Amino acid sequence: MKVALMSFAHTHALGYARLLGAMPGIELLASDPDSATRPAGESGGAALAAELGVAYVDTYDELLAWGPDAVVVCSENTRHRAHVEAAAAAGAAVLCEKPLATSVADAEAMVAACEAAGVPLMVAFPVRFSPAFADLVEQYRAGAVGTVHALTGTNNGQVPAARAWFTDPDLAGGGAMTDHTVHLADLADALLGGVPAVRVHATANNLLHPDAAVETAGIVTVTYADGTHLTIDCSWSRPASHSIWGGLTLSVVSDTGLIDIDPFAPRVTGWSEQTANELALGYGPNLDQLLLESFLEAVRTGTPPQPDGHVGVRTTAIVEAAYRSWREGRVVEVGRTSV
Amino acid sequence: MTTVGIIGAGGISGVHIAGWLRLGVDVVVHSLVGAPELVARYGGEVAASLDELLARCDVVDICTPTYTHRSLVEAAAAAGRDIVCEKPFALTVEDTEAMIATCEAAGVGLFPAHVVRFFPEHAVVHDAVERGTLGTVAVQRYDRQGGMPVSPWFLDEELSGGIITDLMIHDIDFARWNAGPVDSVRAVRSAPDPSGTVAAQVVLTHASGCVSSIGGVWSARPVAFRTRFEVAGTGGVVRYDSATNPSTWVNGISSADGDGYAPRPAIGESPYQTEMREFLTAFQGGPPPRVTAADGLEAVRLAEAARRSLALGEAVTLPTEQPAEPEEAR
Repeated sequence: MKVALMSFAHTHALGYARLLGAMPGIELLASDPDSATRPAGESGGAALAAELGVAYVDTYDELLAWGPDAVVVCSENTRHRAHVEAAAAAGAAVLCEKPLATSVADAEAMVAACEAAGVPLMVAFPVRFSPAFADLVEQYRAGAVGTVHALTGTNNGQVPAARAWFTDPDLAGGGAMTDHTVHLADLADALLGGVPAVRVHATANNLLHPDAAVETAGIVTVTYADGTHLTIDCSWSRPASHSIWGGLTLSVVSDTGLIDIDPFAPRVTGWSEQTANELALGYGPNLDQLLLESFLEAVRTGTPPQPDGHVGVRTTAIVEAAYRSWREGRVVEVGRTSV
Repeated sequence: MTTVGIIGAGGISGVHIAGWLRLGVDVVVHSLVGAPELVARYGGEVAASLDELLARCDVVDICTPTYTHRSLVEAAAAAGRDIVCEKPFALTVEDTEAMIATCEAAGVGLFPAHVVRFFPEHAVVHDAVERGTLGTVAVQRYDRQGGMPVSPWFLDEELSGGIITDLMIHDIDFARWNAGPVDSVRAVRSAPDPSGTVAAQVVLTHASGCVSSIGGVWSARPVAFRTRFEVAGTGGVVRYDSATNPSTWVNGISSADGDGYAPRPAIGESPYQTEMREFLTAFQGGPPPRVTAADGLEAVRLAEAARRSLALGEAVTLPTEQPAEPEEAR
C-alpha cells in the first residue's frame, strides 16, 4: 500500500513516519514544502525525511501524482482543509491530524469533499485506542458502568516548543483550548455514542506564558444532549523542564461508582542522574501504532474508519463554541452541524 | 479557664470536641439529640438548655445544620460570647451579612470553620503560593468525592444548599485563598438520579485571570473519601491525591476486632485542633486566624453564585471584591 505523508509541521508526523516506515507492505513517501516557512532551527523538509529514512519529494503535486492509497495530513491546523481536499481529490483515503479543523465550516467542507470523492476520512485521536479507554467503553456498553452522571478530563502538557506555529493563531487557530480540548471531546463522543454537545462554557488565560499570542490554560465545560456534563482542563500547565510531556486522564461518575482512567499511567518511574530529572519508562502499546493500524485496516478492507470526519466536526464544534463562550463571557449554544 | 459551649452533636461535633479537649479547655454541649452520647465518648458536660450553655461558656462553637446558624449566632452574640461557626456560615449572603453585622455590633468575635485551610497537605500548598514557589497561579483543579451524607437534612437543598454549598465550598474557599477574588462562576450538576448520586462542577475565573475547576461527588454507592488537587503556576506545579499517598499502607490485617494493626487515620495533629487553637488564640487577643468572617462571607457569596449559575444555566458575574478591612484590635 502506498502511503503519503503531507507535512512534518505537526511533530506527531515524526512518530507516524517511524511507525509507517517499519510496517511491512507499506511504501511511504513524504513531502514538507512549507518547512521553508518555518523559523530557522526547526526541523523539516528533505533533511528531516533523510533523518527518518523516508523517501521525499519537494511538492505536494508530486506527492499526490504518485497515486497514494492513503494520505496522512500533519500540517498546521488551519492548513488541514486545503490538504485534506487535495488528498481526497487525488482519490486517497485520508487520516488527518487532530483537530480536524479550526472552524465547523472547514470541518464540514472536508467531510463533504471526502464524501464527494468517495474516500474515507479519519481523525487522529489515538487515546480512544488505549486499552484503558477501550475497556471503559466495552464495560459501559455491557452495562457495568450504569448511568454516567459526569465526566471530568485533564489533558495537560508542556507548551509545544518544537514548533512555533502551535502558538501562532493564524496557523493553529488558537492555543491550549484548540490543542487539548478535542482529545477528551473525542473520548466523550466515543463513550456516549456520538451524542451531540448542546452547550459550552469556557474560561482561559495565558498567565503561564504571558508572551504567547494564544491562551495557554483553560477550563471547558460541555453539556451534551443527554444531560451529561464534561469538564476539561486543557491547559498547557506542565512546566517546560518536566521530564514528561504531559498526560490525559478521564474520571467518570456513575450510579455504580467512580472510575478513573489514566491511559499513560503504565510507566516505571525513577530518577535520571544524566538529565537530573524524573525518569519514566512508559510501557504498553504505542497508541499511535494502534491508530495507524486501525486506519490502514479500514483502507484495506473498505470499512469506514473511526473516529471519522463526523467526530471531527462534532469535536470542532465544541472548540468553536468554547472560543465564543470565552470571548463573550457566557454559556453558548453549540451550533448545529450539517453532517 | 476557658469554657467552650458546643451546640449540636452531629458528625462534625466529634472532631470539634476532640480538638477543643486536647487544647485543655472545658467543654459543655447542648443539642436537641445526642449530647449525652457525645460527652460520654469524648468528655465534657451536658448543658440542659441553650440558655444554660450560653451562661456557662466563653466561646460558642456552632455545629448545627446550616439553616440554624443565623439564629444561634444571634443568640450567642446577644449573650456576648465569641463564636466559631461551622461552614458554611449560612445559605445566603443576606443571612451571613446579618450574622457578621450582629457580631460586630455586639463586639464579639466570629470565625467560620473552613477546616480545609488547616489540613496539612493543603496548608503546605498555600504556603508555597504565599512564598512564591509556584509563581503566578494560573490553573487550579480540586476534586472531592465521598459517600452521601447520612443525616437527611444534607440532601434537602433548602436546608443545606446541596453539594456545592455544603461540600464544594471547602475547595471554593481554598481556591480563592490561593488565587484571590473571583470575577465569574459557572456551575453544572448532574441530573437528579434515583440512586441519589450527585456530581457537580464549579469553574471560577479569578480577577487575576487564574482559572479554577472544582469537582464534588456525593455517591450513593459506598466509596472511600478522596480528595485530590493540582495547582499550576509560572514557578511549577504541585499535585496531591489522598488515594495514592498514605504514609502507611496495610493489606490483609484485619483490625475490625481491635487486635490487628490499625494506623491512625490522621498524620500528626488533627487539623480541627489546629483550627480551634488559632480561633481561641485570636479570641484571647492573639493574631487573627488564617480564615476570617470576611472569608466565610465570600465563600457563601461564591456558593450562592454557583447555585444561581445552576438555576440560570449561565455564567454568573460577581461584583468586585472589596479588600478586607484590617482586623480591629479586640
